[in-house]
Amino acid sequence: MTNSAIFFVLVLLALVAFATARQRSLRVVDGDTAKLHSLPRHYGYFAATCVLVPGLLVLALWLMFGKSIIEGLVVNGLPDAIQAEYADRITLLLNRIRLVVENASTQETNVDILAAAERFHSLYLKGLWAAFSLSASFGLVGLYTAINRTKADFRARNVFERVLNALLILSSVIAIATTLGIVGSLLFESLRFFAEVPLGDFLFGLKWSPQTALRADQVGASGSFGAVPLFAGTFMISLLAMLVAGPIGLMSAIYLTQYASTRMRRIAKPALEILAGVPTVVYGFFAALTIAPLFRDTGEFLGLDIASESALAAGFVMGIMIIPFVSSLSDDAITAVPRSLRDGSLALGATPSETITKVLVPAALPGIVGAFLLAISRAVGETMIVVMAAGMQPNLTANPFEAVTTVTVQIVALLTGDQEFDSAKTLSAFALGLVLFVITMGLNIFALRIVRKYREAYD
Amino acid sequence: MTQTNAPKMAAKDVHVFYGDNHAVKGISLELRRNEVMALIGPSGCGKSTFLRCLNRMNDTVASCRVEGNITLDNEDIYAPKIDVVQLRARVGMVFQKPNPFPKSIYDNVAYGPRIHGLATSRTDLDEIVATALEKAGLWNEVKDRLESPGTALSGGQQQRLCIARAIAVNPEVILMDEPCSALDPIATAKVEALIDELKEGYAIAIVTHSMQQAARVSQKTAFFHMGDLVELGDTTQIFTAPKKERTRDYITGRFG
Amino acid sequence: MSDNADFRPTDWGSDKMQARLRNRYRKERTFRVAGFAAVIAAGLFLVSLLFSIVRDGSMGFLQTSVDLDVTFSAEILGDPRAMTPEAFDEGVRRVNMQRLLLSALTDYFPEATSRRDQRALLKLVSTGARDQLRQMVLDKPDIVGTKQTVRLLAADDIDQLRKGKIDADAHENDRKVKDQELGWYKKLVADDRISLNFHTEFLTSGDSREPELAGIWGATVGSALTLMVTLLIAFPVGVLTAIYLEEFAPKNRITDFIEVNINNLAAVPSIVFGLLGLALFLGVMNLPRSAPLVGGLTLALMTLPTIIIASRASIKAVPPSIRDAARGLGASPMQVVFHHVVPLAMPGILTGTIIGMAQALGETAPLLMIGMVAFIVDIPGGVTDAATALPVQIYLWADSPERAFVEKTSAAIMVLLAFLIAMNGVAIWLRQKFERHW
Repeated sequence: MTNSAIFFVLVLLALVAFATARQRSLRVVDGDTAKLHSLPRHYGYFAATCVLVPGLLVLALWLMFGKSIIEGLVVNGLPDAIQAEYADRITLLLNRIRLVVENASTQETNVDILAAAERFHSLYLKGLWAAFSLSASFGLVGLYTAINRTKADFRARNVFERVLNALLILSSVIAIATTLGIVGSLLFESLRFFAEVPLGDFLFGLKWSPQTALRADQVGASGSFGAVPLFAGTFMISLLAMLVAGPIGLMSAIYLTQYASTRMRRIAKPALEILAGVPTVVYGFFAALTIAPLFRDTGEFLGLDIASESALAAGFVMGIMIIPFVSSLSDDAITAVPRSLRDGSLALGATPSETITKVLVPAALPGIVGAFLLAISRAVGETMIVVMAAGMQPNLTANPFEAVTTVTVQIVALLTGDQEFDSAKTLSAFALGLVLFVITMGLNIFALRIVRKYREAYD
Repeated sequence: MTQTNAPKMAAKDVHVFYGDNHAVKGISLELRRNEVMALIGPSGCGKSTFLRCLNRMNDTVASCRVEGNITLDNEDIYAPKIDVVQLRARVGMVFQKPNPFPKSIYDNVAYGPRIHGLATSRTDLDEIVATALEKAGLWNEVKDRLESPGTALSGGQQQRLCIARAIAVNPEVILMDEPCSALDPIATAKVEALIDELKEGYAIAIVTHSMQQAARVSQKTAFFHMGDLVELGDTTQIFTAPKKERTRDYITGRFG
Repeated sequence: MSDNADFRPTDWGSDKMQARLRNRYRKERTFRVAGFAAVIAAGLFLVSLLFSIVRDGSMGFLQTSVDLDVTFSAEILGDPRAMTPEAFDEGVRRVNMQRLLLSALTDYFPEATSRRDQRALLKLVSTGARDQLRQMVLDKPDIVGTKQTVRLLAADDIDQLRKGKIDADAHENDRKVKDQELGWYKKLVADDRISLNFHTEFLTSGDSREPELAGIWGATVGSALTLMVTLLIAFPVGVLTAIYLEEFAPKNRITDFIEVNINNLAAVPSIVFGLLGLALFLGVMNLPRSAPLVGGLTLALMTLPTIIIASRASIKAVPPSIRDAARGLGASPMQVVFHHVVPLAMPGILTGTIIGMAQALGETAPLLMIGMVAFIVDIPGGVTDAATALPVQIYLWADSPERAFVEKTSAAIMVLLAFLIAMNGVAIWLRQKFERHW
């Protein structure tokens, strides 16, 4: 018996329900479908729904909470000594048990753990069977009710459509639930982090070294979580990226909308789309392998000391990545300016460039500002390029030739590799994530509001 | 009052093509100072297209090709040595829909003089703006709020602002492309009165849909039909005793 | 105002005006050139990006081989005729194939006699060569007792040497391949025993620590499984949400909020979705780490906004007249939507979905968060097996110190880009084929 088996049994049951209800609806009116309120298949749909909804609900509950409940039971059943030993490291204990259960690990010697694993195994099997019988019987009850209700005057279609409507609403709620989930999980873990590290230290501290020592008497036992170097690094790389993407993106949008021939537009626009579609990991590879050495060598040639993982290389490549973003949003903003304004300016004897800089761009400015803000938000949240090209050292520097680190890099560094879930080190990643989320969300809301206001002005 | 009768602009046998579409077929007419020429005719008859040839606004349409000869003060405006920027400063244009820039009233009017460098000082510019607004009959309405945005004015005021904007560049010819079609009757009356006043000093061509308007504001009328110039003459003559049957049919409302 | 004496035409011909005009035109030209330069710069970036990838990557599909005369001695392997097939197979699996290799190598390079030299000799061929030989014997036991010329995978250093990535003219201390090996290599080249062939194993095998043995099949399967989960979740949920918001939702504050919320969600950094996946799917729900299931769920949440926004636009584009006509025939609102509107909107919905899937395929950061970065040799068999994905594989290889992995990484990127281009191509094709103008 496995979870998927339960699922398939339910689906089978639903198919049976569909066929039976459909047959029965035809039988109650002796095949004269005109007498039925709804089409035969609606009775079938209704019956299938009656089986699936309660059955899947049980299965979902079991999948979500079953394991946790069993683990709780198993841990509670362990001798007090072991419970005390792992008092604040329950996850470790559970991992030990899980290892035995899943791989039948032969290295485990502790009798209690082995017993616990055994207990876990048997409880899990029991739970599985319980879930199966419960969801199957719920399904059967649903089947029975549905068949019973299949009468000529039963409004199966309406009921089924109500269910469908509920499904539609449920889907829409998932989008909100995702946001809530993000906010919830980030906040929850961050609060735990801030219980250990004061918020002020995190936001204003100048030293970032999250490595917590294993024993309290070692040097740097507590780690320090001053995130200012990360904020500064993020800011610098985003700034560098915008210095590349801003002018190039805006100018190419202007050129493509105002000067370029149709043929050039037909080539350039897809090219920009390709640039936008290249995965960020590819940009990261390009930054680390081509641009960074190129910059370092050029720097060497010019007598500048450019680190091989410089903020400059990462920011530059990130700028390339953002060009199509700035360009297409600016393009939209500029083309949204009514043609009459352009004609009005040209008719006064303005040159095209005067028309662009003095009329079109000012008129499109809110849209362009919105585009830049969205681009900045993209740069702040970008991960792979900086992970691969910017380095790990939390340098607090204003020199773009040095290596810096960013919020996203540290999140990746903190959460990949070996980790314990509850340490301040791991939790700090969520605090960084929260900062990232708040900043990008703020930028987005602000930018979208500007853009929307601006659209309304010309619609 | 010298040389009133010498043509300011003259078009000879002008043809306009949009790709394969022959939109204007051999138009010849003359614009004179102190005179308003009305171009009338049914939609799509080529009158707006022709008007846009006079300050080369058709240049901005890639597929558009103009043949024939158009002169301003006896100079061919399509000659290579003619500078389109200057030409457009000398031949101003007012559009169908008021299109003030999203700037202050002052900046709207000052836009042209600024780009062309017509003012040497701030006071100079102030004066140009004030004069233009006065000529456009808008000064009294806006003199206390020159810094408020031009887009906040009413439709009629916006159109007069656009006229002021065109005047501020000190043009010699003003082209108006159905300047009242987006305005209510009261605003239309004001703009019409303004056109009548403005003809002193400028050569004006106005494209209009409304024959009443043509009769009210113009001295000369040209009737366009399907790209042809059917009849050209004094406004009173065209409206009272048209020589061509097509003109008569149009004026009496049989088509159009 | 009616005084004509007032009117002085501007003197356009004056020197001042002419100079000013020239200046204005110079600015116009500069501006135009700047715009053109911006477009060209963007184009150049794209070209140099693609060029550097293809330059390195095209070599990644090729692999150097060494032809060696291997004697499949019955002494080492056992005699298949003298024992049962099972016993023979068992014996072959246990045998150290290095002995076959070494004898083949020392036959060819009799001068290498010392233990040290022999160890160096073995470094000419890949560690995978042993498995290659073993597989040959298992496939065809008759081979025992014969001498065959076998094409064996070369070690990565030899491969790099063949491809010119290691400079043979450099000073010995500056290159990875030492003079002794270089001498052997030159002898092999002289005998035409070194060849560069298309490397099928790159496309069909899983990850490995050895560049010449590493392949992208494991990552490809991982990506496919992940995308399958993403599609199964994001497509129905996204389309149903779009239908609800566009066709049924009352226009009130709650739906407004949902709309704003979806737009914002579309711009949340992907790594934040990774954090959500880590906290929710691994932390709360206890789903298996590194599994395509979790990756797919995480990416589904991430692509949801893309699919919703595209589907809504597509549904909105279906003209109201169709709905009116269907309603006029007595269809219920649900029937109107599911029988008439959605089928007509489907091409647009599919286009949006494919674009969302392409996004998900290229995404790396969220997968790092949920542990799909482990070194995994096995090809994943299901959505709960530990797996990695193509972009993550690229990230992992990009981090490897071996020079040979650079070209493998580039080659993997070429494969990933090929998938992305294909997906976008299908999306464009769909859009053009089914685009309707109402």
